[in-house]
Amino acid sequence: MTGAGTCGSQHCVTCGDDGVPMQVVRIDEVRGLALCADENGTKETVETALVEPVAPGDVLLVHAGTALARLEHAA
Amino acid sequence: MKFVDEFRDADIGRAVAMEILSMVEPGRHYKLMEVCGGHTHSIYKYGIDDLLPANVELVHGPGCPVCVIPMGRVDDGIAIAHNDGVIFTCFGDMMRIPGSNGSLLDAKAAGADVRMVYSPLDALRIAKQNPDREVVFFAIGFETTAPSTALTLKRARAENVTNFSVMCSHVTIVPPLRALLESPDLRLDGFIGPGHVSTVVGGRPFQFIPADYGKPVVIAGFEPLDILQAIAMILRQLSDGRCEVENQYKRVVPYEGNLRALEVMAEVFELRPHFEWRGLGFISHSGLKLSDAYADLDAEIRFSVPGVRVADPKACQCGEVLKGVIKPWECKVFGTACTPERPIGTCMVSSEGACAAYYNFGRFAREREVV
Repeated sequence: MTGAGTCGSQHCVTCGDDGVPMQVVRIDEVRGLALCADENGTKETVETALVEPVAPGDVLLVHAGTALARLEHAA
Repeated sequence: MKFVDEFRDADIGRAVAMEILSMVEPGRHYKLMEVCGGHTHSIYKYGIDDLLPANVELVHGPGCPVCVIPMGRVDDGIAIAHNDGVIFTCFGDMMRIPGSNGSLLDAKAAGADVRMVYSPLDALRIAKQNPDREVVFFAIGFETTAPSTALTLKRARAENVTNFSVMCSHVTIVPPLRALLESPDLRLDGFIGPGHVSTVVGGRPFQFIPADYGKPVVIAGFEPLDILQAIAMILRQLSDGRCEVENQYKRVVPYEGNLRALEVMAEVFELRPHFEWRGLGFISHSGLKLSDAYADLDAEIRFSVPGVRVADPKACQCGEVLKGVIKPWECKVFGTACTPERPIGTCMVSSEGACAAYYNFGRFAREREVV
């Protein structure tokens, strides 16, 4: 994988139905978006409507620019 | 990183492999299908099949969203991309899928403005940056990706972005699984359930597999230990004579799924009466289109598309590979006429496709070598 949400020669997170754990760095509450970083530090703007409320430090499972789950709070 | 490193521990992996070995009956052949292309990729990336006993066979299912797109849909996308003023956006692997007369990448070379995006949100951003152009997003994927498209359409509506539309080729996972289970040429003992589709839909939609067909399902994550543990859980069910839906991926997948995602999908999408799948043919109620409330953002209404059904190339056996009837290397053109650089079939295009996974990770061997 070349970075969060990227389609590299070996892997495509979108096409592979993959999800990337990403940590929330900063949130834009008005627009429902968050700046998140993956394990390599690659940053991406993420849609957070499905997992709100989120706070900096939360770890989200991100797929195609959308957070599908919040890892710490999962059952 | 937390939630990643602890699921790649080699010592624990070997211990689970030993547990698997202790559960298999020597004279029995076990055929387990991993539904999701992401699992296929992880299995070959981490060499998981080499840790399994020789009589446990993994069969690769139809869960690569790129691999199931038929040629006619690619042709429709290319037709839209060639409209004056259109910026056509899609995920990376989609660009290389061959249509009947080339791929979207070929269309780009011929002058169409085709751009790769990482998310629908990126496509919407391009639309906002280019208000004098029409921006179309080629939406593919299972229930994992569909909420992202749905939220982007809602955002386009809320932000009044009128030069954005979606060519919707989203599909749902249950109808093809039912079609596979009805297929007479395939005998399966259990399923490794799709982890991230289940994050959205939960475990309930898979209950029909044990209830109607008597097969175990274990929803699994994508790290090597996730998949090994899921295989162990399936074998445990078989050895106990049980069949049920179990959840190995509880750290992510709640049984009821993500209710907000299901709500937004229900608002934005509706089921097509039928949808064509590469290799599997037309399957009823297996594809999504935009609902009437969002019809003004439907690219197939905004632009004219050929909508012609195109038969798959005769040499290509993607259909049998997708159904798990043959292994990728058993296809006549695997690794010779069909390679990731010059793919004939979709399974060789996407890195999540079974053929590309075999090719990229050196799985050319006709016989499995088991340690």
